[in-house]
Amino acid sequence: MPATQLSHPLFESDNRHPISLPTFTPANITQDMIGQAVHFAELPNDPIKFYGTPKPLLLEYRLLSRRASVIRDVTVQTARLLDEAAQKSSKDTRIAITGSSGSGKSVLLLQAVRYCLENDWVVIYIPRAKSTVNSTTTHTYDLRTRTYLQPEYASQILRRILGVNSKLLSDINTKQSLSLERRQIPAGTSLSELATIGVKEQQLATVILDALMNELSAQKKYPVLLAIDDFQAIYKERTIYRDPHFAHIRPYHLSMPRLLLEFASGQRVFSQGAVLGAVTNTDPLFPISNELMWALGTERIHPTSPYDKMNKTLVEYTAGLKNLEVPAQFSLPEASAVFEVWMKDRAVSAPINDELFLSKYTESGGHPRSFVWKGLLATLDGEIPKYDPEVPWPQLREAVVV
Amino acid sequence: MVHILGISLPDSQLARFALTSIYGIGHHTSHRLCARFQIHDRCKVKDLTPFQITAIASFLSSPKTAPPVPHYPLATPDFTPRPAKMSSHELQAEFNAAQATQRQRKQEKLLALGKALPDAKAESKTRDPLNNLKIESELRREVRENIAHQRMIGSYVGRRHAMNLPVRGQNTQSNAKTAKKLNRLNRYG
Repeated sequence: MPATQLSHPLFESDNRHPISLPTFTPANITQDMIGQAVHFAELPNDPIKFYGTPKPLLLEYRLLSRRASVIRDVTVQTARLLDEAAQKSSKDTRIAITGSSGSGKSVLLLQAVRYCLENDWVVIYIPRAKSTVNSTTTHTYDLRTRTYLQPEYASQILRRILGVNSKLLSDINTKQSLSLERRQIPAGTSLSELATIGVKEQQLATVILDALMNELSAQKKYPVLLAIDDFQAIYKERTIYRDPHFAHIRPYHLSMPRLLLEFASGQRVFSQGAVLGAVTNTDPLFPISNELMWALGTERIHPTSPYDKMNKTLVEYTAGLKNLEVPAQFSLPEASAVFEVWMKDRAVSAPINDELFLSKYTESGGHPRSFVWKGLLATLDGEIPKYDPEVPWPQLREAVVV
Repeated sequence: MVHILGISLPDSQLARFALTSIYGIGHHTSHRLCARFQIHDRCKVKDLTPFQITAIASFLSSPKTAPPVPHYPLATPDFTPRPAKMSSHELQAEFNAAQATQRQRKQEKLLALGKALPDAKAESKTRDPLNNLKIESELRREVRENIAHQRMIGSYVGRRHAMNLPVRGQNTQSNAKTAKKLNRLNRYG
């Protein structure tokens, strides 16, 4: 059968109309908007486009016609924390978002990133921090810093920071000149020009990223958000990288993780801003380390004792981190908002009624990921078949439902 | 296409896997080699720098005579780096000078304790397994020599190699096809 004769609406995937939802704006993050679904509008400096998202979110956004998310109680709580942090040093607002697997930590982090972006913050978002420690980018030992530099990653992150924050960065000028081996960058250069140099010359990228972070720390024009997903990956004592003697390289001996650890521990601070990290529970290569669990006071999976070894340096790097726990259950209004989004996108095959919603909510216990993936999208219920007496063969007629 | 010791490595392959096509290098040795030359796990052969390629080739041509890898210092949490305008040559020269003084002091200490001769050259005993690496023709020669030795001492193993039969006690009533095809006195020769 030729494709043009497939007229059933099920085949009309190209003619999908995006569902109508309110946009995610800072004004929408209030107590009365809890349980309301909103979507992340396309922006020219969209952080989702430039920085990317963690893989589960990416897959979900491929299915949906809009990049939707629901405003929860924790969203409003985080927004208020960030409003206070805009006036304070980042040393006072260093938060690790924890919670059970699939409870919405990465989504909350993404909501925080969008909230700050639209409130004129400089936003640095690292959606997959494990790519800094899993031996996927070049690393070269540098005698000056006594660490392993990651020039390709630094250049890439500079390009992304520039893509999202170019307007704000061109408004800030460097206060100190930067003298490199073969180059001199005078004081008064705009940060966007500085970042462009790092993007073009990869061997200078790490030094320039360091200088850019120093300048951002010192300036008071715009608050800065450093958002890290896969936060636990940088706290694993042994990274996948190996040194020339085949020993595992520690995360604080690699340039990118060291930068993130220094800001997370308050050793380097932004004059105004915050550091947010979302933890991933489901990566067996990078489990949450003892040091991080002890610092955050999270519930342990295995019994612990005072004899458990902890790396002293990593314990120093966890100093002052606060825990923000995401509830493992959707409330009924939140779940119904999520249900409506998937229903409007024609993703639910079963007949839409209260019975379906409550049954899926109960089966999943309100757990966000299970409610969507194992409840709504995995249901085998279909439309109730209609009895048609005109079908010629009686054995093919559907049964009459009394 | 990169050529190391006459063996071509396809550009699209991961460097860690491509090195295993050299006779005598398996996955573990390849991992150690990549670590030695700071090649990360997902680096493809086309992403290798010319410096890394020549370093690997010169190492593999004679692993025994390769210079040992120095133990470079690593930054403590409160370490402040030197100014960025210092050139890499200056830093390397400083490091070499520091290493030389350290070696000198160690030698003097050992002399004072009577554990070293004054004129002996400082021989660094490396426990690096890559130092004893044998590849290609050297490894094949070692295998041939081992078989020849077994034959020379008149052992069972030597006799079985000479008769082109299985050596390790396998069945010959059936299933000795590989041994009959491959077992020779001048095997791999």
